[in-house]
Amino acid sequence: MDTTTASSSPIAHGNPWTVAGVTLSSRFFLGTSHYPSPQVLSDAVRASGTEVLTVGLRRLQPESGGGNSFWQRVQAMGCRILPNTAGCHSAEEAITLAQMAREIFGTPWIKLEVIGDDYTLQPDTVATLEAATTLAKEGFAVFAYTTDDLVMAQRLHAAGCAAVMPWAAPIGTGRGPLNPYALETMRRRLPDAVLVVDAGLGRPSHAAQVMELGFDAVLLNTAVAQAGDPVRMARAFADGVAAGRAAYESTPMPERAAAQASTPTVGVPFWHSS
Amino acid sequence: MNDMTRLNISLNGEAIETDAATLQTLLLARGYQLQGAFACAINNSFVPRPQWPERALQSGDRIDIVTPITGG
Repeated sequence: MDTTTASSSPIAHGNPWTVAGVTLSSRFFLGTSHYPSPQVLSDAVRASGTEVLTVGLRRLQPESGGGNSFWQRVQAMGCRILPNTAGCHSAEEAITLAQMAREIFGTPWIKLEVIGDDYTLQPDTVATLEAATTLAKEGFAVFAYTTDDLVMAQRLHAAGCAAVMPWAAPIGTGRGPLNPYALETMRRRLPDAVLVVDAGLGRPSHAAQVMELGFDAVLLNTAVAQAGDPVRMARAFADGVAAGRAAYESTPMPERAAAQASTPTVGVPFWHSS
Repeated sequence: MNDMTRLNISLNGEAIETDAATLQTLLLARGYQLQGAFACAINNSFVPRPQWPERALQSGDRIDIVTPITGG
């Protein structure tokens, strides 16, 4: 799978970028859960222009034999696969699942996710760092899901993660960036790290907001899959991501405390000095 | 059937008895198609596919078999 080519898309992505030694055009990673139907998933993926899809792993019951229609459908989409370790609650579990994923998917890419709190789905960042350190040494390209804690992001980057992926808000909440200051600070303090905002985005404006801060990409799932029209929303997010990135590369103007007229004041009619 | 050869193991969280001596024998006996998209672990340790034919089973082993599903 790791040599597959990206699906073609009419979406204007902007400049290519590189993560884990792979050059991508799209800065939009998309999850594959919670779509109304397999066909809607396929259509949303196409509309998004994404080149990277996340998938999970779960127990296979014997009666299915080993056939997997979902996996066959995903393979047909021609995207790079980013398998996750969702559901793991310890470094040991996550490491084992990552090794299993590498064999199944034929890729060293792994979205490392170790949950520490079942109510908020907040990652256990201590266990995440432990697993990331081991997996990076084993040659994995680790995409580490974490909180917006700056020091933990620094540790994950230093451990050799291919990407550090802070949440904007808890998974599936759609609340958007709850702490833009923390995200902006992380971007400034880790200028050389690949940073992907993962989880909590609900609207394309949220995606544009974090892309304007200079994040390299966004990863989301529910905001597209659970939209009233997932296919249109996939396109809307693609536009939001592209707009945010273009704005970042264009260097937004500095904020000012006072108003400044846009129209020149010289030659204003009806103006008198007395 | 020799009762001495029967093993009590856990397969995907389900307690079962088996007379399969190796992981691959167990997979075949349970109806798994070996070319399928799945991977195996025993007692939370990954077992690479080339090791399936030789990997001996022991009573008490916890075997997990996973396959791709949707994910975010």
